[in-house]
Amino acid sequence: MARLVLDIRREASAPFHAALTAASVFAGLAISAAILIAAGVPPAALADEFVVATLFDAQSLHAVLFQAAPLIMVGAGAAIAFRARFWNLGLEGQMIWGAIAATAVSLFEIGPPMLRLPLMFLAAIVAGMAWIALPLLLKQRLAVNEIVSTLLLNYVALNVLLHLLYGAWADPKDSFPHSPLYRGFERLPELPGGISSALVLALAAVAALAWLTLASRFGFHLRFVQAGPAVARSLGVPVLGVTVAATLLSGSLAASAGFVIVAAQEGRLTQSFFTGYGVSGVLIAFLARNNPAAAAIVALLVAILFAAGQNLQVFYQIPFAMVQLIQAIVVIAAAAADFFLRHRVRWVKGIG
Amino acid sequence: MIDFVASWLAATLAYAVPYALAALGLIICERAGVLSLTAEGFMLVGALAGVGAVLALRAPPLAALAVGMAAAALVAVLFALLVVVLRLNQVVAGLAMVFFCQGLTSLVGTAFGWTSKAIGGLTRLPLGPLADLPLLGRALFNQDILVYLTLPIFAAIAWLLTRSMTGLRLRAVGESPEAADAAGVNVTAYRFVAVLAGSALIGLAGAYISVGSAKIWIQDMTSGRGWIAIALVIFARWRPWRALAGAILFGCIESLVPRVAAAGIQAPRYVMLMLPYVVTLGVMVWMAVARTGRPGDEPAALGQPHVREERR
Repeated sequence: MARLVLDIRREASAPFHAALTAASVFAGLAISAAILIAAGVPPAALADEFVVATLFDAQSLHAVLFQAAPLIMVGAGAAIAFRARFWNLGLEGQMIWGAIAATAVSLFEIGPPMLRLPLMFLAAIVAGMAWIALPLLLKQRLAVNEIVSTLLLNYVALNVLLHLLYGAWADPKDSFPHSPLYRGFERLPELPGGISSALVLALAAVAALAWLTLASRFGFHLRFVQAGPAVARSLGVPVLGVTVAATLLSGSLAASAGFVIVAAQEGRLTQSFFTGYGVSGVLIAFLARNNPAAAAIVALLVAILFAAGQNLQVFYQIPFAMVQLIQAIVVIAAAAADFFLRHRVRWVKGIG
Repeated sequence: MIDFVASWLAATLAYAVPYALAALGLIICERAGVLSLTAEGFMLVGALAGVGAVLALRAPPLAALAVGMAAAALVAVLFALLVVVLRLNQVVAGLAMVFFCQGLTSLVGTAFGWTSKAIGGLTRLPLGPLADLPLLGRALFNQDILVYLTLPIFAAIAWLLTRSMTGLRLRAVGESPEAADAAGVNVTAYRFVAVLAGSALIGLAGAYISVGSAKIWIQDMTSGRGWIAIALVIFARWRPWRALAGAILFGCIESLVPRVAAAGIQAPRYVMLMLPYVVTLGVMVWMAVARTGRPGDEPAALGQPHVREERR
């Protein structure tokens, strides 16, 4: 009688790891393609929408890069919090507060025009930190589960946003739930060459994070916290300080994502500017294994997915939630592949 | 004032049922040691499948609820494979499942044209003269069938978990899978079945939201109730009857929101809509401050995969 035997794999070689990851991502994409075809997208259109139309068309490529900036920020933001063992699922809430704070600076005309945009950015960062500070405090002081608290706070933030947009902050010019348009100098400019300044901000943030996690004392400490707070503490690592700093950084990155969406893409506060970004941030961090630089690359790929998703919505009436579905399938496939990284499966013949 | 209280109480149980059933399903999973963050996703699957059964199969409401249960259990097979068989990190797998279900239900709902179509749904079953009792009649005895069934479901599961041999083994698997394994309990099988059974109940909770209360499917219609149910399980300290009491409390708060506006009381709409989430958070904080939870409440092996080959 033959049977399956599992062995624990202590160490996997780098090529095996890379091949497995590639295979799992490919499998996830293949399953996603099958679902899309079942939902009525012609197979020939898939390759066209995803590869040709997004990468080899100057205008679409521009749109992808534009979309990439907030995704890089939420992805890196999720990654840094997960490293500090803080499950920040409140990315959407922090994005909303970041955008609300930036809009407040615009609405109440705080500061001279020259400084308006930096002030909006600063206000967003402070608001994002403040919004994550509550679940952080509750976790550190009272051991309240942050997965649930950050998620609940998303719904609170959303209702604050709707309260403002359907009330005091509604644009008097029309009856839609959005704020008045920002003035020209309140919008993130496009740099020469058509590159969005939001993308430059996002890449600068990732570069800083990469340095912080790889080369700084903070990053050295963070690796200990990630490996195990109890051991880290006994080794003299300032666990509390590192956790607080990483988590606040995460909140400020998510809020920055909210800021760049309203200040570069929408030009005003809208009721759905954050749709899809919070979930994507978490999934990007999972796929990038909480590495900020890897998160930037994954975010770029997700941006292609976003751009393709918008096309599919327009041309084939495929709901935008498809984007989330594909990301989730790829993450599940990649996570499932971990099993083979950690286990060796053997057939044993004969009596077991 | 009496009218306000009467209509409030009359609506409370219908709001409490989804919380109660979802929390009960979560308790089954978690007592077996599987941390299930999937509730929000599986409720959506149950809600969509229930409406889909009515629209596509012309199923009667009760059958539609059963379809909702079955659909959630089916999707839960994937979750169980990931966390029980492949032993993945249960937080990552659970969150990925929620995002997967959100995307899937929204895609399927649109693709089949099930979105925003009103259905017949469950009807009220007044229990004879009892339903005419003042105040309590409408609150307790003029409800739909699932409200009446919730009590026996709780009684059955509570008995199963605490009084039966199966329940004892299931709790052993959640407290110490190594010991249970050594005693000859099939840890993998118990966990797998617990995930499926618990998820079916979570699916029933979702199907009740669409087929029983709202009588319509709308994308992301559970709007965070799955997360509230997870908080409720912590509040209930993994005990079924406490979960039922907590669910009624949450039902009270949620049913208050539409009543206040209907009674003509001036309150900002979106501030009122925050109430369930703020109260949930408040309860979590209060639990933590009052330290009502004891360390032994949480199943000891919650969230830990059982890897027999690493047994020490």
